[in-house]
Amino acid sequence: MGHVTGLKCRECGRLYAVEPIYVCEFCFGPLEVAYDYKGIAGAISRETIEKRGKNLWRYRELLPVDGDPRAGLDSGFTPLVRAGNLAKVLGVEELYIKDDTVVHPTLSFKDRVVSIALTKAMEFGFDTVACASTGNLAHSVSAHGAKAGFKRFIFIPATLEASKIIASLVYEPNLVVVDGNYDDVNRLCSEIANRYRWAFVNINIRPFYAEGSKTIGYEVVEQLGWRAPDNVVVPCASGSLLTKVWKSFREFRDIGIISELRTKVYAAQAAGCAPIATAIKQGTDVIRPVKPNTIAKSLAIGNPADGFYASQVVRETGGYAEDVTDQEIIDAMKLLARTEGIFAETAGGVTLAAAKKMIESGKIRRDESTVICITGNGLKTQESLQGHTLSPHYIKPSLASFEEALKNINRG
Amino acid sequence: MKKRVKLTFPQQLIKEPVIFQMAKQYNIMPNIRRARVTETVGEMILELEGEEADLEKGVRWLKEKGIEVEMAEGDIVE
Repeated sequence: MGHVTGLKCRECGRLYAVEPIYVCEFCFGPLEVAYDYKGIAGAISRETIEKRGKNLWRYRELLPVDGDPRAGLDSGFTPLVRAGNLAKVLGVEELYIKDDTVVHPTLSFKDRVVSIALTKAMEFGFDTVACASTGNLAHSVSAHGAKAGFKRFIFIPATLEASKIIASLVYEPNLVVVDGNYDDVNRLCSEIANRYRWAFVNINIRPFYAEGSKTIGYEVVEQLGWRAPDNVVVPCASGSLLTKVWKSFREFRDIGIISELRTKVYAAQAAGCAPIATAIKQGTDVIRPVKPNTIAKSLAIGNPADGFYASQVVRETGGYAEDVTDQEIIDAMKLLARTEGIFAETAGGVTLAAAKKMIESGKIRRDESTVICITGNGLKTQESLQGHTLSPHYIKPSLASFEEALKNINRG
Repeated sequence: MKKRVKLTFPQQLIKEPVIFQMAKQYNIMPNIRRARVTETVGEMILELEGEEADLEKGVRWLKEKGIEVEMAEGDIVE
């Protein structure tokens, strides 16, 4: 197995050998994995996929590893929920939630990308993995890395709340708290990645890591009965996930797994960090960096590496983008929980709120099939709902007190 | 020392030779690798080479002019 032909610069097209590198030496463009699609088309079919285990490695020919999977053996293949209750509220006919609130083991789609990154890191012979993260990625690298037996370094800014880091610390990585802000951590990690021979999953392993996001798209197509949806709504931080979901659909078409592809791709961002949505709405292809200010911390990337490519995909496919306020995010998190019983993190609120806006404005047609990608679990960001939920009913331990409360409940 | 940066120019600065001015003033050697200019905004990816202190001063000067200076590879913290 192994169908990777090399790495290719997204800007100038220059080819590189498969190595832990991520940027073109000539134009500084990002490198992307290139495949032998002819070989893949001969090696994979709907039937071969269906016979395999229900995890993300069932699409292994389309992932950038040479040997057997070494991490994330139980990650992926999350439910695609037919969201009938939510569809009624939004007034659409066919709506689905791709529910990555339940990815194994750390409950966000980062478990997908990290599965690929760590398998590749092992193939490259690294003994240490690292990342800079304020949340989901830190959890995933800590957990997957523990299982795979790596030394782990996680870098975070000192401004991050203590409650956020317990979910990483429990796996006992080396958690390095940098006395500086978000920009300082960005710069420092880039320098550290250049000096130490470590697998920084989202720096020097990034071309391989990012490919893991494609598995969301493959699963959606398979779970829809081997067809791509009319519309897909994807949250954007760096923009990478959106480009990879589209890439997965295109690949399935190109290797003959599906014959038709008319999907429109829609981007969702928080109003407090919307460099990609702004560019799409203004019709420009230059992404202007912003200083993030939103409760959707997992989407707060002010200078998105793949922003330009994400905006291109949206434009090419006839999609659109929308950005939503913090209040709209909270309302959407509650709506999803109330209607579908799914507790998403703030990023999920962003995606649903943006989808709702685009349905109401007619950008997403009500008579078409739409998939909303929910990428992380709400249990991790509960504080964002503080003061925004219902109150419990407080009673004395007596039947009378309970019946008094019940009267109030029934009165509404 | 070398530094890879992405510069985003506001409309009013697109016609000004700011890269040249910075290079001369702070003894920095710029090497433009990629650029994209539209009616309203300009974007440039380049490598700056010079003494560390000069690079810092040069970048600060660009920011004061109203140019957004970011890492060429985008934000790393996810």
